[in-house]
Amino acid sequence: MNGWSAVVVALTLAAAGPAAAQFPSPPPEQLKGTPVTPARLPDGRPNWTGFWVTPNGLLETYRGPSGVTGQAPGANTRSTRRQDIPALKPPYDQRYAEALRKSAAGEIPDLVAACFPPGMPRMMVMVYGMEILQTPKIISITSEWQAATRRIWMDQKEHPPADELDPTYMGDSIGHWEGDTLVIDTVGIREDVPLDFGQVPHSPNMKIKERFTQVSPGVLVDEITIDDPDVFKEPWKYKMVYLHRPGLRLKEYVCLENNRNVDENGQAVFK
Amino acid sequence: MTTTAYVRTLLVAFAAIASLPVSAHHSFAMFDDTKEVTLKGTVHEFQWTNPHAWLQVDVIGAGGETEQWAVEMLSPNVLGRMGWKRNSLKPGDEVTVVIHPVRTGAKGGNMVSVRDKSGVQIGGPQQ
Repeated sequence: MNGWSAVVVALTLAAAGPAAAQFPSPPPEQLKGTPVTPARLPDGRPNWTGFWVTPNGLLETYRGPSGVTGQAPGANTRSTRRQDIPALKPPYDQRYAEALRKSAAGEIPDLVAACFPPGMPRMMVMVYGMEILQTPKIISITSEWQAATRRIWMDQKEHPPADELDPTYMGDSIGHWEGDTLVIDTVGIREDVPLDFGQVPHSPNMKIKERFTQVSPGVLVDEITIDDPDVFKEPWKYKMVYLHRPGLRLKEYVCLENNRNVDENGQAVFK
Repeated sequence: MTTTAYVRTLLVAFAAIASLPVSAHHSFAMFDDTKEVTLKGTVHEFQWTNPHAWLQVDVIGAGGETEQWAVEMLSPNVLGRMGWKRNSLKPGDEVTVVIHPVRTGAKGGNMVSVRDKSGVQIGGPQQ
């Protein structure tokens, strides 16, 4: 199954169930991937400034030949069920298996449930909206999820030296344009930031490569490649689809306002 | 008011689809999305808050006693794009709520749908 047909199948399935009532998806013809000529900024670059939403079910992955799935016992989160995670190398495979076991048993905290930022790349794999603001030197992407903001430095050609790069939730992102495609390279993600709800680990050497392309009017695709040869036997690739909503604005989201989903140990609970 | 709290087990394939829209700021492994419980009751409190809105529903149990159920919803930003407002519900409103129940057996779950007294579903497709 090629990438886009996987999306269409997901849309078709969703249309059969109650999910369709809550999260309508764009017509399949919008998702066929025909590049469009986008609106442009004065500097000639595509203008994606505005508010975008992510309909559920549009996350897709490329299936690895020897991939293990990240299905935690009892877990039914979209991220762990729908993504095909490449096989992990030792010692990360054991570390991951242990994290899955502990997570299912409620023995390790769920950092986002405790209102920590989702970090990269999780903030791009979200149910919430996001706001893109573009200037010639900085492109800013703010997710409604924990109000997490990442900044992509367009005037920076290289990442800082490793000893000057403090690991952060969002990492250090540098970008450039290849035609109408925005290419972003991100490093420097904190090691305690899991890559999804399934506690997928990564190493300090992880690089995240992204290619943003507007494939049809109002439809933006982010092709994400997680390149971490210390951890994965092959790069982990998936696509996110974002839909432009010009009539809407980003809304405030203060996670600590009424967080009934975490106990005193930081574990996700229901109370 | 008569009360019904009943559990319906759905086909696994159907449940897998039904569970698609719920991912949010925490794992939803705590909910059993292979089951649905329908609650008929009155609104005790509607918490229009982040990271999730909550609907506290008073339900009359089998023995005639009032039970309060906690219904976790999406966040106000997503609910707002589905047509919900902070005043969509107020204490005393009669509602019918379908939830995926929490696995612990506690009186609560994750919202699937909410209908008002006349049976009209509150909220619709997300913009």
